[in-house]
Amino acid sequence: MPRVAVANNPAAPRRRRAAALLCALTLALAALPSSAADMNKVVRHVFPVAEEGFDPQAAHDLYSGSVEQVIFETLLTYDYLARPARIVPLTAAALPEVTDEGKTYLIRLKKGIHFTPDPAFKGQQRELVAADYAYSIKRLFDPKLRSPWTWLLDGKIVGLDEAAAAAKQSGKFDYDAKIAGLEVVDRYTLRIRLKQPDYNLPYLLAHEPLSAVAREVVEAYGDAGGRVMANPVGTGPYMLAKWVRSSKIFLEANPDFRGFVWDFAPGSDPEDARIVAQMKGKQMPQVGRVEISIMEEDQSRLLAFQNDELDLMNLEGPLAPKVMNGAALTPDLQKQGVKLSRFVDPEITYHYWNMLDPVVGGLATEKIALRRAMAMAYDVDEEIRVVRNGQAVEATFPVPPGVVGHDPNYRGIVKYDPAEANALLDKFGYRKGADGWRTLPDGKPLLIRYASRPDSLGRQQDEMWKKAFDSIAIRMEVQKDKFPELLKLEKQCKLQMRTASWIADYPDGDNFMQLLYGKNSYQSNNGCAVIPEFDTRYERAQRLPAGPERDQLYREMARIAEVYAPWRLDISRYRNMLVQPRVLGYKKHPVLHSEWQYIDIDTAKQGG
Amino acid sequence: MYAYIIRRLWQMIPTLLGVVLLVFILFNFVGGDPAYVLAGKISSAEQIENIRRQLGVDQPYYVQLWIFIKQVVTGDFGASWSTNEPVSQIILTRLGPSLMILIPWLIISTLIAIGLALAVAYVRGSLTDRAVMIVCTVGLSISILVYIIVFQYFFAYKLGWFPVQGWGNGFWENLVVYSSLPIIILLVVSIAPELRLYRTFVLDEVNQDYVRTARAKGVSENRIMWVHVLRNASIPIITNVMATLPGLLIGAFLIESFFSIPGIGREVLLAVNRSDFPVIKAITIYVAVATMVFNLLADLTYKAVDPRVQLK
Repeated sequence: MPRVAVANNPAAPRRRRAAALLCALTLALAALPSSAADMNKVVRHVFPVAEEGFDPQAAHDLYSGSVEQVIFETLLTYDYLARPARIVPLTAAALPEVTDEGKTYLIRLKKGIHFTPDPAFKGQQRELVAADYAYSIKRLFDPKLRSPWTWLLDGKIVGLDEAAAAAKQSGKFDYDAKIAGLEVVDRYTLRIRLKQPDYNLPYLLAHEPLSAVAREVVEAYGDAGGRVMANPVGTGPYMLAKWVRSSKIFLEANPDFRGFVWDFAPGSDPEDARIVAQMKGKQMPQVGRVEISIMEEDQSRLLAFQNDELDLMNLEGPLAPKVMNGAALTPDLQKQGVKLSRFVDPEITYHYWNMLDPVVGGLATEKIALRRAMAMAYDVDEEIRVVRNGQAVEATFPVPPGVVGHDPNYRGIVKYDPAEANALLDKFGYRKGADGWRTLPDGKPLLIRYASRPDSLGRQQDEMWKKAFDSIAIRMEVQKDKFPELLKLEKQCKLQMRTASWIADYPDGDNFMQLLYGKNSYQSNNGCAVIPEFDTRYERAQRLPAGPERDQLYREMARIAEVYAPWRLDISRYRNMLVQPRVLGYKKHPVLHSEWQYIDIDTAKQGG
Repeated sequence: MYAYIIRRLWQMIPTLLGVVLLVFILFNFVGGDPAYVLAGKISSAEQIENIRRQLGVDQPYYVQLWIFIKQVVTGDFGASWSTNEPVSQIILTRLGPSLMILIPWLIISTLIAIGLALAVAYVRGSLTDRAVMIVCTVGLSISILVYIIVFQYFFAYKLGWFPVQGWGNGFWENLVVYSSLPIIILLVVSIAPELRLYRTFVLDEVNQDYVRTARAKGVSENRIMWVHVLRNASIPIITNVMATLPGLLIGAFLIESFFSIPGIGREVLLAVNRSDFPVIKAITIYVAVATMVFNLLADLTYKAVDPRVQLK
């Protein structure tokens, strides 16, 4: 009867409609994104080099990575303020559960994270699931994609290399085939099984090549190689609004982003307290739009910043003397309220010798003596002063500051000492000939070919080394080649000597110590150094988590590298970020490429 | 005339083949192997071979050359090796900004240079003529890089008359706001050599008998200079302008780099730095074709300007 009564009540349909409307409104409000981004808050950033595109598994340049990092999301990320960099969950609900002595990682995802709506999803809301990460990891191994990031997981995950080998045979990667080491336990749980213990996997899971992409998007927009450079669809705080290739990149806050509350603990840096006071408790992201300009020329970038056309700018070495007095900004910039976010980059620059080269290579005593003499003849202080404009520190330990495994108390034995270098050469039979130049111990001419790029930095380095070689009476000639050709010769171990740099892919010492590991010859081990004492320690260190035992091994490896001298550690450069006064909460992170989602803009001071 | 045009078009084929061969040889023996750049920080020999296979650079040279010739014939140069953007799209999207700078510059520069050339030729040997020539010589001696750096610093940054750099969305915004300073710099750089050159062309004519005859007949000086002299001096001027036109299609490298203009000149630099052969190939070929076409147009224009010219 009540049913009839209701049906007979003329007001009932209206009430039902009102109730339904209220219900729908409540649901709609609940579904509204928590993003607090204000579209009037704009950050204008600059890249000095053009981007490639925004496929996290396919693009490999730093600048594409900076954009990918805010469009896509990794399972883990880094705490914004913690130094040294500390891993925290991003789309993962918690840090991975590590079992089997570092061989098995179980990762659970947060529920309710969604990709930005896109026609590829055919009108359906698309939730981020564990299978997306499994798919993205598989993409790294698809030969058709030719990912430059395969090495991150090469030889590590059970069954993945075999799947890649099968794809090479068949010409098609089978994304649906089960891979033992990449198990989607359920919709939100991923289990990764490794062939060997690897305590660095969490760092890799925070690296943008391991961001989640949706298979539907790749299938909808992928080119012949399966790359999706121009249609990035992710779950991150920003989305690509407009892209004028090699010129402008416009990002807008993702309205569907779940948001987060700014709640980072200050570290020991006094600047942190000010940042926390500015930002704590804010719903993020605050910045609604990010406008990135690509400006190749130093002068254009600096004038644009000084002219208030940019909010953030990385100050490269040649520009430093124009706006910096040593470690501080010039008084006029300080007066304008411009801030400087400065730290030593997690990178090393080093001069290496080809250990397979008949003149400078090998482990024979006289070859070691030759390399050590060359190392001692090089004046790093002068390079820092003259070439680097004071914007670098001498590197004495292979693991740079800010990277786990760095030892600030390590005292290197390689010092600038041309007299000692000459004595060493005399002792090992590198005698001076009638023309004043030294010869090999067997009396043959001694000539070192130093390879460098035909740019201004290359020419300055040529001059530095020429001066060093002259001081020990060794003839030197410069081998000039374009970058691709140098890279090719380097990978083939055909360069006798060159200066190279390595910036951290992840902030762990392993990323640097692997540069001298024998099995990485023809890859990242530029000089093809095979030093058994080093290699055995490296293999032991790889199986250890970061800690005192591994640190001790690293110290021994650093000493072995100094003794055998396959390289001469050179410098680590400062990163100097210029920040306009209206930017709030900015602190350059040593590993993250972009910080736009962690900062705010004082709209009262918004630039033109 | 049509027979002449058809003959000239036929002659373009061997020239184009020569260009194809030259570009191919230069890239393969000087350009560097792109696979090593594309392979990333760490790569195995196997991965590099995979990339070489995908790019087709593992093929024998004759196969690669044949593919190149087919691309020239079809006009389809594929996609950029580094960004996968279709090459045709790269050219089409970058050409607009370059032309927006270079077409106004060419028109203004030609008109100013011709006007000034007639004026200084008219007062040849005077203090004004000498002063203008000295200024031109000084102007010629200064690199465009200096003009860019100084003008950008003073007129854009210090005085704020122009933006330091950038490119907008609208046609007029780009033409008026962002192109003005680049055009002014190009004018300052180009007027001096053009003025000297055109002055010489004009001087060659002002001493001719027909000028003397015109003066004797009482023709006004304005008419003598702007009609009689200019018409006869216009053939070498046309040659010079036509020779400049293909350059419009490769943009102004330095101007585009310093002012962040998304033009084709910047793209060429990027392609060279990245060893992006498809882009280099396409741009080289279409500039070569444009050069030949503009040369032909120049010859046809001679005939229009001076009916005495015979096209054989």
